[in-house]
Amino acid sequence: MFLRKDDKITTTQAAIFLTDTVLGAGILTLPRSVLEAAETPDVWLSVLLGGAIILLLMLVMVKLSQRFPGKTVYEYSRSIVGTIPGAFLCLLLILYFIIVGGFEIRVLAEVAMLYLLEGTPIWAILIPFIWTGAYLACGGINSIARVFQIVFPISLFFLILSYAMSIRVFEPNHLRPLLGGGVMPVIQGLKSTILVFTGCEVIMVLIAHMQHPERAVKAVFAGIGIPIMLYLFTIVMVIGGMSVDAVLRSTWPTIDLLRSFEVTGLFFERLEFPFLVIWMMQMFCNFTSFYFSASLGVSQIFRIRFGPVLFALMPVIFISAMIPKRINDVFQLGGAIGYIGIFFFALLPALLSAIYWIRKKGLRQDV
Amino acid sequence: MWTKVLSYIPDWKTFMQAGLVLLIPLIINFGYNKISSLVSNKNNPAKKTTAGDTTAPEEPLSGEYERDLEFLKKTIGTSSDVHFREFQITGLNVRACLVFVDGMQTVDFLNTHVMQVLMREADPQLREQGRALNTPEFTAHLKEKILPLIDITEVTEKLELTQSILKGFTALLLDGMPHALLVGLPNGKTRAIAEPTSEALLRGSRIGFTEVLSENTAMLRMQGKSENLEMKKYVVGSLLKKNLVIAYFKDIVNPELLHEVEDRITKIDIDFIAESGYVEQLIEDNPLSPFQQVQNTERPDRVINALLEGRVAILVEGTPFALIVPVTFSMLLQSPEDYFERWMPGSLLRTLRFFASFLALMAPALYISFISFHPGLIPTELAITIIEARQGVPFPSLIEVLILEISIEILREAGLRLPKPIGPAMGIVGGLIIGEAAVQAGIVSPFLVIVVAVTAISSFSIPMYSAGIALRVLRFVGMLFAATLGMFGTILFFLLICSHISKLKSFGVPYITPFSPFRLQDFKDLFVRAPLTLMKRRPEMMKTGNRRRRS
Repeated sequence: MFLRKDDKITTTQAAIFLTDTVLGAGILTLPRSVLEAAETPDVWLSVLLGGAIILLLMLVMVKLSQRFPGKTVYEYSRSIVGTIPGAFLCLLLILYFIIVGGFEIRVLAEVAMLYLLEGTPIWAILIPFIWTGAYLACGGINSIARVFQIVFPISLFFLILSYAMSIRVFEPNHLRPLLGGGVMPVIQGLKSTILVFTGCEVIMVLIAHMQHPERAVKAVFAGIGIPIMLYLFTIVMVIGGMSVDAVLRSTWPTIDLLRSFEVTGLFFERLEFPFLVIWMMQMFCNFTSFYFSASLGVSQIFRIRFGPVLFALMPVIFISAMIPKRINDVFQLGGAIGYIGIFFFALLPALLSAIYWIRKKGLRQDV
Repeated sequence: MWTKVLSYIPDWKTFMQAGLVLLIPLIINFGYNKISSLVSNKNNPAKKTTAGDTTAPEEPLSGEYERDLEFLKKTIGTSSDVHFREFQITGLNVRACLVFVDGMQTVDFLNTHVMQVLMREADPQLREQGRALNTPEFTAHLKEKILPLIDITEVTEKLELTQSILKGFTALLLDGMPHALLVGLPNGKTRAIAEPTSEALLRGSRIGFTEVLSENTAMLRMQGKSENLEMKKYVVGSLLKKNLVIAYFKDIVNPELLHEVEDRITKIDIDFIAESGYVEQLIEDNPLSPFQQVQNTERPDRVINALLEGRVAILVEGTPFALIVPVTFSMLLQSPEDYFERWMPGSLLRTLRFFASFLALMAPALYISFISFHPGLIPTELAITIIEARQGVPFPSLIEVLILEISIEILREAGLRLPKPIGPAMGIVGGLIIGEAAVQAGIVSPFLVIVVAVTAISSFSIPMYSAGIALRVLRFVGMLFAATLGMFGTILFFLLICSHISKLKSFGVPYITPFSPFRLQDFKDLFVRAPLTLMKRRPEMMKTGNRRRRS
């Protein structure tokens, strides 16, 4: 097949899509939010544990989605729980995507205003970003996956480089004692670490667009494994480099870590700048993914063409990003998203699977 | 609780902004759709196939010498450059006429091989046959025994005869013979084969295409013998017809690609193809993209290499520039020399060119965003140096950069048009003196002169001239982005370009393959030019029939 008409992505692309969706604002917010939940250096264990839980939940989502080849969650939820409840559930999911998308770009704007563009009004940062995202999203999932494929290696390289450089301020004592407070703090940290994996629900949309849906499990392992490792790195390096107390006092601990040392002999003295540049590109991917998933959902539920939906969602996302009044609201929203996220992680797929299972059993008895 | 919810509802300003968020893209989208529907190639294939073949009803020659000659004189004889040379074949006592266009044949050849033979040497033989001038035997006799020419064609149609004469054939009319004979091949003056000027190489063949289609196809054949190299001829142009040849290896090329190329070529509907650039613009996928989607080259070795990768070449009569489709972004940064040199220097040059094209695109934008927005992010000492150098410059950095960038673009354009001996002098006057004077006058900072010079030199290092133009255009867009939003704007600009080229396709091949869709196999010929021993397969992206290059 030379001229492709179908809009399918490869397994690698799906894995990168997933990674880019999960890896977002969390890089900057995770260290503090998790330490606020459990004031212990053992929180890196929470990341691992949280990642493992997410992985299990995602397997449920994959298994469910694989039963409906070529269909997204927006389409098959209807056939599981009926048209109206299915549409309602999906609208909730779309709303969730929109709020998360708005949250992500709000974080981006806050960081940009603090470090890059002092005094620039927030709309001047948000609006071009939304437009650029829309331009990419209107190309369909294939173009999105391609851009992700370009950005991902660059951001991976720079993230690892930044963390590797910060090894010079790394102090292993900051991470000790191991399990000094027992296992409980680790469990407490869990609620905050699960939150950084928000966005992995897109797998329920993604599988429908995969060339080989049967390889989705592979894509999930890669697509979640990479963020787990990167988040783990982030936590370990930030806590190791700054100590628990310093992290709690800082708004954006990861950036503060990179500002705390100077690299001589390079063009840049501090790594914070290239890190921010790369992180913004990463955020772009992250945002576009949510934006695309939400638009696709609206278009599939209401059977409208994709293009107009894309346009219609632009102001919605903008307003959702403008709702938090100050930065503390943003962080609170981040926390709230986590709790809603748990519903979508755990309850929605489990609910759908259960109903599907019961209906299938029931059907079999009839036959 | 309600008051809390209410307090979070944004004020009317935000809603106004939200309206703008929607409105502006809608307007842009509307405009874009309008323009693209205007620009896009709306050729109707059905219309073309009927109109293309039957131009006029075929009308045979009458066979009477006087009437045919009269016809010729009436239709093409009014042009001053069409010559009629009437004479008598003495032995037969038959009138004859040679019709040809001035300057398109070798006169010596006609004198010695046609006139002399017919008027003198052929006498006795002709007299034997003389009685039956209008029989096929006589023509055969003329062809086989009398005229010492390789190429003789009989023409019976009026239209074909006039067109052949205008193409440069010499026609021979004989009283009593029912058809005309084409006796002399067209031999218009052509340029000698020369080194391709737009793609000079240090190492590699010095041969470049010329304006003659047959010579160009012959050059491709001369690259090596293969029965699989196939060429197909098409006629394009409705008013002035021109030959166009597509070349490919029939065992390598993907049939779907070939079909697509043929399809687009038959859809071409224009009165005249002046240069292969016309074809390029009429068959490309997206006319509104700043990036070229068809590669043009003067080098036969480049064409052959592309064909071996499974691409298709389009050669047009009258231009030394052949087209290669489909093209990917990485191809524009490749030079045949990469393969001729050993792999290490080749790889180094490749990587260098990627870096250079990045600089050519982004350097001024980065300069603006650092100077105007984030001087704190560059090392302190460097920042102090730059700012000291900029002291006294009365303009914001965008204007400063624009002054120099625009003047260097003008210089480049002017240098291109000037006669060769003046060009370098102009470069010295323009580049050195104006640059130096501008710095001393305090209009621009010396650091900027470095940036602009590096940018210009980087854009020269791109092997494809037309690819360089695209980057030159985009550079200005990048500068505007940087001037409005600093580094954030530069990132957005970069992401926009990424988004654009990831949507772009050239004949079904995504423009940025092999980056994405990711094809690890094809990375051997991207930043690094792997040793030839490792290049065992043809590019995966081309989905070729015959995959292996080495057994």
